[in-house]
Order: sequence, then structure tokens, then C-alpha cells
Amino acid sequence: MAGSGSAHLRPRDEVLLRVEDLVVEFPAGRGRTVRAVSGVSFDLARSETLGIVGESGCGKSSAARALVQLPPPRSGSVRLDGLELTALRGEALRRTRRRLQMIFQDPISSLNPRRRVREIVEEGPRVWDLPGDRVDEVLEAVGLDPRAAAVRRPHEFSGGQCQRISIARALVLDPEVVICDEPVSALDVSVQAQILGLLEDLKERYRLTLVFIAHDLAVVKNVSDRIMVMYLGKVCELAPSAELISAPAHPYTRALIASIPGGGPDLPPAGTLISGEPPSPVDPPSGCRFRTRCPRAGARCASEEPQIRQVGEDHWLACHYPTDSR
Amino acid sequence: MRRRPGPDSQATGVLGRTRPGSRSAAGVLGRMGPGFWAAAGWIALVLLAAVLADVLPLARYDETLAGPPRSGPSAAHPFGTDGLGRDVLSRVVHGARVSLGVGVGAVLLGLGIGAPLGILAGYRRRAADTVIMAVNDVAQAFPALVFALAVVAFAGANLRNVLIVLGVLGVPSWVRLVRGATLTYAEREFVLAARVLGARDRRILWREIVPNVAVPAASYAFIGMAVVVVAEGGLAFLGLSVQAPTPTWGGLINEGRTLLETAPHVVLAPSLVMFLTVLSFNLVGDRLRALTDVRESGLEPVREAGAAPLPSAPHEVRAGCLLQAEDLRTHLVTPRGVVRAVDGVSFTLERGRTLAVVGESGSGKSMLIRSILGLLPGSSVRGGHVYLSGDDLTARTPAEMRSVLGPRLGTVFQDPMTALNPVRTIGTQVTEPLRVHLRMGRRQARAEAARLLASVGIPDPERMLRRYPHQLSGGMRQRVTIAMALSCGPDVLFADEPTTALDVTVQDQVLRLLHRLREERDMAMVLVSHDLSLVARWADEVIVMYAGKVVERGPAAEVFARPRMPYTEALLRAAPRLSDPVHHRLSVIPGRPPDLADLPPGCAFQPRCPYAEDRCAREAPPLTGSYACWYPLDEVVVEGADSRGR
Amino acid sequence: MIIVNRLVRLLAVLLVVTFLSYVLLNLLPGDPVTQILGLSATEEARTQLRQDLGLDQPLLVRYLGWLGGLVTGDFGESYITRAPVASALAERLPVTLELLVAAQVIALGLAIPVGVAAARRAGRALDQALTAVSFALLSTPVFVLGVLLILVFAVTWQVVPATGWTPLSLDLGWNLTSVILPAITLGCGQLAVYARLLRTDLIATLQEDYITLARARGLSPRRILWRHALRPSAITLITAVGLNLGALIGGTVIIETLFGLPGVGRLIVDSIFSRDYLTVQGGVVLISVGYVAVNFAVDLVYAAVDPRIRRA
Repeated sequence: MAGSGSAHLRPRDEVLLRVEDLVVEFPAGRGRTVRAVSGVSFDLARSETLGIVGESGCGKSSAARALVQLPPPRSGSVRLDGLELTALRGEALRRTRRRLQMIFQDPISSLNPRRRVREIVEEGPRVWDLPGDRVDEVLEAVGLDPRAAAVRRPHEFSGGQCQRISIARALVLDPEVVICDEPVSALDVSVQAQILGLLEDLKERYRLTLVFIAHDLAVVKNVSDRIMVMYLGKVCELAPSAELISAPAHPYTRALIASIPGGGPDLPPAGTLISGEPPSPVDPPSGCRFRTRCPRAGARCASEEPQIRQVGEDHWLACHYPTDSR
Repeated sequence: MRRRPGPDSQATGVLGRTRPGSRSAAGVLGRMGPGFWAAAGWIALVLLAAVLADVLPLARYDETLAGPPRSGPSAAHPFGTDGLGRDVLSRVVHGARVSLGVGVGAVLLGLGIGAPLGILAGYRRRAADTVIMAVNDVAQAFPALVFALAVVAFAGANLRNVLIVLGVLGVPSWVRLVRGATLTYAEREFVLAARVLGARDRRILWREIVPNVAVPAASYAFIGMAVVVVAEGGLAFLGLSVQAPTPTWGGLINEGRTLLETAPHVVLAPSLVMFLTVLSFNLVGDRLRALTDVRESGLEPVREAGAAPLPSAPHEVRAGCLLQAEDLRTHLVTPRGVVRAVDGVSFTLERGRTLAVVGESGSGKSMLIRSILGLLPGSSVRGGHVYLSGDDLTARTPAEMRSVLGPRLGTVFQDPMTALNPVRTIGTQVTEPLRVHLRMGRRQARAEAARLLASVGIPDPERMLRRYPHQLSGGMRQRVTIAMALSCGPDVLFADEPTTALDVTVQDQVLRLLHRLREERDMAMVLVSHDLSLVARWADEVIVMYAGKVVERGPAAEVFARPRMPYTEALLRAAPRLSDPVHHRLSVIPGRPPDLADLPPGCAFQPRCPYAEDRCAREAPPLTGSYACWYPLDEVVVEGADSRGR
Repeated sequence: MIIVNRLVRLLAVLLVVTFLSYVLLNLLPGDPVTQILGLSATEEARTQLRQDLGLDQPLLVRYLGWLGGLVTGDFGESYITRAPVASALAERLPVTLELLVAAQVIALGLAIPVGVAAARRAGRALDQALTAVSFALLSTPVFVLGVLLILVFAVTWQVVPATGWTPLSLDLGWNLTSVILPAITLGCGQLAVYARLLRTDLIATLQEDYITLARARGLSPRRILWRHALRPSAITLITAVGLNLGALIGGTVIIETLFGLPGVGRLIVDSIFSRDYLTVQGGVVLISVGYVAVNFAVDLVYAAVDPRIRRA
């Protein structure tokens, strides 16, 4: 895998968000560079949920931040409804922010401890000089009492409630796209189910388009229409959720599923599908970046990077030697 | 399928119950303690006296022979008189004007210049940061005191010059402090969130960063005042502060030195006042700093608190059983009340079996492990018994316990990144238990350590012994901690969320390893986890914990296939599974786990339980057979939960 | 490579500091010529002396000349005594250094056990008592403490002399009695600072998983504190010791004044009063070189203490 290419992108007029050949790099000290995201492309149709899944260091969070241009990517294109965000700077970029919001992983550190909850949610309308009448509605929509929010600060709420506050803050601006970066991984199972359900409700109610990033494939599958699997800054596989789980073609996707206890009853044990640990993104392997852990890797994988190609209806793959999709 | 709790009940469960330990402004000030208030009072008193020095009924500070020279404290002259018969109290009060004036003024000056620069350096990073920090480097190497002396000596020793010099000299520290504080907050996600909202830099600085930097800055302002008051005193002592006849504290002490033998009170009075003032500034500053930082706990293991040993029910000690817990309880004494972290847990474990302890955060599962091992915080009380092959561990002193920890009980924790000492080599750490417990020599221990590392699948173990933890990946580190836990051949291995911090592909490798080692060494394993599918895959028996109690127990396959306690069922239904259809609605457990210091009456799960009846709120159900519930579920089969046997 | 970088950076700091101080000293009001000849001297005499001292040259030329001399170890000559500045400094430096080293030995020697003892039972009676004592020491200005110590030990009990200095080369015993009181005075405040820093960092370290795991391996509290926790907790302490040593080379003026010690600090202050710029400048060089050397040493110590720093 570790594939590049943009064959899987749909025609421009059908999509709301189109990301092409995204590259995110940052210095790692002593003149070295972390290659966090290396040529990733994907797109989102309106009201669609795209799940992005991968292990730590696969670049999924860096990609999320590059979408909101914080910081802007090294290269590549991010088009929101035809508007090229990477070409914008300063005030022009700021004006687009209402349309693209984000929810973070850590419910505690993503809320300012010194502000009251209502102020936090009201911040968006204040910045944009909008009337604050949506604030109460959104607070209620996420299941918080507006009266309690007016007087309390974040530390008086539990992790799950804090995540609701984060969601309210993002939704109050009526955005078109919401990027959820590991929104439930810091939460207990019971609270996680609450938040996942809430996100589905709100998506319907506010007609949202979601990018849902997580390391837990089961969680991603639960909410996503399509899933993109990333490894070490590259795209491995992209398919509708059910198909990706039932007919994984990429060796890494298969290993990921087999590693989950009770995950892939039809797959061989994970130990035979993958070995070792991910290499450092500072010095990624040549060719296919997954080859160092892949039992199927051949000489071609080291010399030539696989390009993304179609293997089924809306099922895309970057691998020289995939397993046959059933 | 029974009715899924509707969104209404969910909403009410979430509505604003406050988290324990919430602190309002009044609460914060109340917690500061008497020392803080005494110090603040003293500062106010000295300030007031300094401001009102002219109107107070005191002798003039420069009036000679206001009383007999060098006389000790008396009613007319509470601090006595100096060599010229001047009233020492009056001179000390007037000296406070200079000291506090310079103190407050110089701190404000340093803050005024240093804080904006520090915020700029911390927030802007890049160029501004580089320049400002380079200047700071030079400023630190600069012999500050020499220049304070030179400027004051040449430009004139008056209040203004002293204030300016001391203020400017404080700027580098202010820049460092404010930059550091800004940096910590500028990296936080709430600042990123504000940018995503479209807030401009100015707004982010004022609304998000400044309020957070204000607390450490206020703390430092007081400590800075202490520093400046001392520095001014030093200058005055050298004759380089405000000149006579205006009295200053340092000057008074310097003058009084000649009378040390005949009239020590002339030195002691200003010394004491100065000491108290500096102490008060330091105290107030320290207490303010403590607001942002609340960790106070030493190393000493539990004193088996003789105060209130929790009683235990009569029970039978099973001779053949490897590990037996009977009515184990751990209560933590906190300011909010007694937290019942572990509340009457009993189980038995045989050799060659894996017992899983399952629950959400706050269920007491980790505390249970620490309770068994005797590694509890000092504020806890333990009750009940733990038997290791019939030997009561709870009767042992901490020193006696140490001969069991390691040789018979091994431990692995969640986060391999923090489980190894960063400054010691892998070799030193792995060989340590071998040398301490098994009394091996250096060579023998190293050979054994290399063998251990090889057995947990670490390639090239000899080289690994010389490396440091930061040079290893997460999975490798966890293998090292496992090797350490196994080094003295324990009978029971406690693994507290051993794979939660690892990537899923590595998780599988580590669990496989643990399972293999347990079989090879014929150990028993206690596996703590929040992940039900993981437990279902690897455990033989399971106990499900809720609010410090066991609510269900039994063979793992049985419990997950046919849960009887509604909480177990709800947990199973709340966890997403790969086999679920896309956009499958997970059933939701309404509300949130109870406050362990303030448990609901009856069954702790009853406020969240869809099947709860009146009886549940009145009486706590005992653990009878395999579950603790008045109205257990029928044999409901949760589809897909049984994933064992792969 | 990193070490070379660090050295270059420190040398640059040294250059900037000496230049700034040279300029500043000369810009400040006051004139060595007036100081030497008095206000009544004739204009010719003043011009003559100005030429003799080289003060008629432009500032930058004088600085470069001075810097050139410095490289060969020539600090110039005192305006007042006309003696080489280098020898004046060399004569005074041992006094200050001995005072500093003695004070640090006292401070660290006590601070480490005190900090460890306080952290071991944080929040309990012993810790609270030690905290109170260190707060009190921290809040006592050196001149107050010095006066009190003189009052007790020199005036009342008369076990040591109140003031004066006996060089080490003359008599070890007398040397020690003359350094002990100033060293305690200087060391007490730092003892308090060090103990508090160490206690705070140790408490933080004791919360770490690897400490709990060390306990779970049955290691004794003593072993855990000294072998496991102390080293990872020492970084702040080392930084503080470094900064202190650097800052104190010229910062012992008050102690030297109080106890009548012929140290560098006293020399600098006297030279400031007599407008003896070159001597002051020599002192500045000494202080900044000391700061730079100490900082360099601290970096090396960091690397020895914490292997993570060796790579970065």
C-alpha cells in the first residue's frame, strides 16, 4: 500500500470536500523531517460520513488539521465546495472557517478551563457577530441544560459531557463539514455509545457532512458510509464500510481486522498477517510503506510504489499483491 | 429485545450534575488555609502602615532624642530607640514606604515589560521567540548585580533609580515565566478550537491565553516582590538605596550593626519586620502557585491504619487455592468523604487460569489490583483478606510484603511509555529484581536477563540490555516490562490494561505473548480490562465490576453469551462490533457512573437500569451465585458476543 | 557536533556581554580622571592623564584594543592603582571561589537529604516542618542572617571571628574558621531553594508508573528513592545550582562586605565607587566567563543524568 494517486476521486460537481495529493511534513529536529501525510487524496459527498482509520503515526490527525489549514499542508489541494482553501491566507481564510468545524479527542484539554460552558459555546457567534439565539437550541440538542451551562465551567462536567460541549461549540456556527478527530477514544464504552448516537442524530438534524477519524475500526464502521484505511502517511484502501470489513483486499486492512479480538472470523490469525511494529515516519520505507511488515511483500514492493486502482464498485486499493476480494 | 431507553431518559441523566471536587471562587479562597490569610493580613498591615505613616501617632522618624538613646522596647517606643535616640518603630514604618514602594513598583515595571514580550514569544514562536530568547540568554549572562550597583552609584541613589534598575533586572525572569506559561496553553486544543471557530489572534490571546497565564503570573508577582524587597534591602545595606535621612530597612540594619553588642533590638526590629514581610510575600505566592498544581503524595506505603480496620465476614481459607480474595475492601479518605473504591470483592483463582476484571473507569478494577498488592495511597483503609496459597497477605507489613512482590506476584501496567525508568538502562532495570530477590551476581543476572528478554520475543537481547527505554518502540517496551514482571518466576501475573496504550496490531502480539507465557510457566493471570471483546477472547473466568462491587461473575464464555445482570448486558450492547451493520444504533446506558463518595441507595446501578423496580432503590442486591441483581435477565443470548475459540 | 554548537553560542554570548558592559560603563555619568585628580585639577593635567589612560580614543577603538589584550590574558591596568587588573582579580578570586564552593557544599549536602526526606512522606509532619523551616530560610535576607549569625557565634559565644580572612595557604584551621560563617550565611538561602525544588520534583516523580512498578517488584523505599527517583528528579536542581554558581561569582558582595572578606565582589564595588572602569570590566569578564563555563558544565551534567538529552 502506501499508495498514491487520485483515481478514486469523484467528479468535482458531486462532492462537497475534495482533498487531492495532500502532503503534511514537519521538522523533527536535527534537520530531519516527519513525513506525516504523503500524497493522500479523498473526497466527501454532501451528507456523507467518511471514516479514516489507522494506527498511531499513520497521519490521520495531521491530515485532519491540514484540512482546516492549521497548519496549512506542505502541498496539495483542499477544495471546499470548489473553493481552494490552501490558496487562502489571513482574513480570506478566516472567512471560510464557519463552514468547516472540528471536534477533538481530549474532552478536557479542548475546553478552556477558565471560561463558563455557555461562553465557550457562544464564542463562535460572538466572533462572527451573529445573534446568540442558536446557543440554547444547540445546547439542548446535545443534551445539556442551558441554565447549568451558564454558570458552570468545564471541570464540573464529566468527560462525556465535555465532549457534548465540544460538539455544541462546533455546531453552533451551522457548519457544512465537521471533522471529528478521535471524538470517542477517551471515553468509556457506555459514554462512547451515547456520543456516537448523538453524532448520528445531529448529522440528520443539521444535515452535516462528517470526517470521522479513529483508531478503532468497529467505532469507525458504526458511523461511516465509506472508510479509508491509512498507514504511515499513505492510503491503503477505500471502500464502503460494509464491503471494507466483509471483503478487505489490502494486506494491512486484513491484519487490522484480524487483530481485533473476535474481529474477522474468516481471516487467518493476525500473527500470520502482520509482524513487528510501524517504522518511524521520519524515515519511511521505500516503495510500499507497509512492505516491512507485510508477509506478501515482494521485490517490486520495495522499488515501486503502488498506485490506487479500482478493484470493485467504489472499492479502491493501493497494493501490488492484494488478496482477492470475495 | 426489550425497550431501549429513549432519548428523554438519556438527556435527564446527562443534565448538569456537577462533578465532585468542583471549586467556585469562594471555595478556592476557603481552601487556602490559615497561613495564607495570616500572610495576606500581615502584608495588608504593613502596606496600610506605610501609606498612613504620616498620620499615625508616631514620633518623627528623624527626631533625635525622642527618647533616651539605645533604650530597649517600652510603652512609648515599642521597638525602642536607636543610637541617636530616634524612635525605631517610626523608622521601620517609614522604611516600609521605600521597601514596599520599590517592591510593588519594580514588579509592575518588570511585569509591564516582560509579560507582553513573554506572551509574544510564547504565542508567535518562530522569529519573535528566537530573538527574545537570545536576548534573554545574554541578559542571564550579564552580571546584573554589578550593573544595579553601577547605575545606582553613578546615576544617583534615589527611589526612582532603584525602582527602575530592580524592575528592569526582573524583566528576563518575567519573560521566561510568561513565555513558558503561554507555551503550555498555546499548544492546548482549546486554542486550536478557537482558531477553527475563526477567532482572530488578538481575541485568542485575550480570551483564551491571558486568563490562564494570569494565575502563575499573579503567583510570581508576589514571589517577585519578595525578591525585590530583599534586593532593595541589599542595596540599602551597601548604602546604595534611598539616602539618609530617609530610613530604609536595609539601611536600618546596616546602621544597627555597630550597636550589635549594646542594643541588639536596633538590628532585630527591622530584621524581624523585613523577614515577616518577605515570608508573607513568599507564602502568598506559593499558595497561589499551588492552585494550579495539586499533587501531594509521598512514597510511603499504607500504614495498616489501626484507626478503623474494616471488619470482615467469617470465611473459609481454601488450602489448595492459589489466590483467594475474601471481602476485600479499600476505602479512600478524601475531603469529599469516604470513597468506596473497592467494596467487598471476593474471588478465587487457580493455577493456569486467567481471571479477567472488567469495568468502566471508576469501577474500582485498578484499585482492586493495587489493594491486593498493598500498593495503595496513604489515605486509604483496607479491609478483608487476600490469601496466596493460604498465606494471608493482608497480615503482612509492607516490609514483609516485599518478599512476595516480584518473586510470587508479578505486575504489568497499562502504559509502557511510563512503566520504565527513563534514566536507567534496560539491563539495570531487568537485572535489579534478580539481584535483590534472587541474590544473583552481576554476570549471572545479566545472562538471566538476556534469556528473559529472548523469551518475550526481543531480538538481540544482549544489545537491548545496554539501551535506554526511549530508544524502544511501545510494543518493545511492553515486552520489557513483561520480562521484568516475570523475572523472579511469579505464581500470579497481574496485567492492568496491558495493551490499552498499544496499537491494535501490536495489542494482539502482546496478548498472544502473555497467554503463551502463562501456559509455559503454569502461572495464573489477572487481566484487567475495559475491553469486553478482548476479555471474551483471552479470559477463562471474569468478574464484572460496577461502583467497587462485583455485579456478575462466572466463566467468560458464559457471562458474555448469557449475561444475567443488566449492567453486563448493557455494556455488551453499548460496545460497537465489527459484525454490526453500518449505522447500527448502539444501545445506550443512560446517565453516568455514580459518585463513589455518594452512592445511591440500594443497587448502585439502579438509577441507570431500565429494569429497576422499587426494591432496587431500597436494598442492595447481594452477589448470589453468579450475579448481584434482584431482577436478573432471562437467558437472553447476546448475538456475536461469543467470539472465543478462534 | 552539538558541543561545538553550544560552545560557539556561548562565546557569542560572551562577546555581546563584554561589549554591552564596556559601552554601558562608559556611558554612565562619572569620570575616572576627576576621581583621580580631584575637581581642582587643571585642564592640561586632565588632558594629559586622559591621554595616558587612553581615554581620548573613540569608544569602539578602546573596546577592540581591550578585547585584543584580553585574548592574550591582558585585562589592562587599573586607572587608579596602575597595577594590572588581572593580578588584582587573581588575588581576589580564590577568596570568592572558596566561599562559593563551601556554600554550595553546605547547601547541597543538606538539601538532598532534606528534600528526599520531605518527599518520602509528603504532607506529613516531618515534611511540613521541613517546609516551614525552608520557607523561613528562604525569606531571610543574607544580610539579616549574617548579622544574626555574627551576633550569636562571634559576639555572644565568640567561637569564630566576626570578620577578616586568613588565606588557605597561611593556615588551614584559621582559614576554615574565617570561611565557615560566611559560607553558612550564603548557603542557607540556597539550601532552602534546593530542598524545595528537589522535593517538588521528587513528589512528581514518585507519582510515575515506573515508581509504582518498582514497588510492585518488592524493592525497598530507600532503594526506590535513591536509585530510581533521585536522578530523574534532579534536572531542575542542577539548573538551579548552575544558575546560582554563575550569578554568585559577582553576587557575594554583601557577604564579603558584612564579613570583611577581600573577594571579587568587594573589588568590583570598590572599583565602581572609584570609577575604575577597567577593573570593573575585568570583573564583568570573570563573571560572564564563569556563567558560560558553568552553563557548559551543566549541559554536560544533564546528559550524564538523563540519557534522553544525549540525543536531542
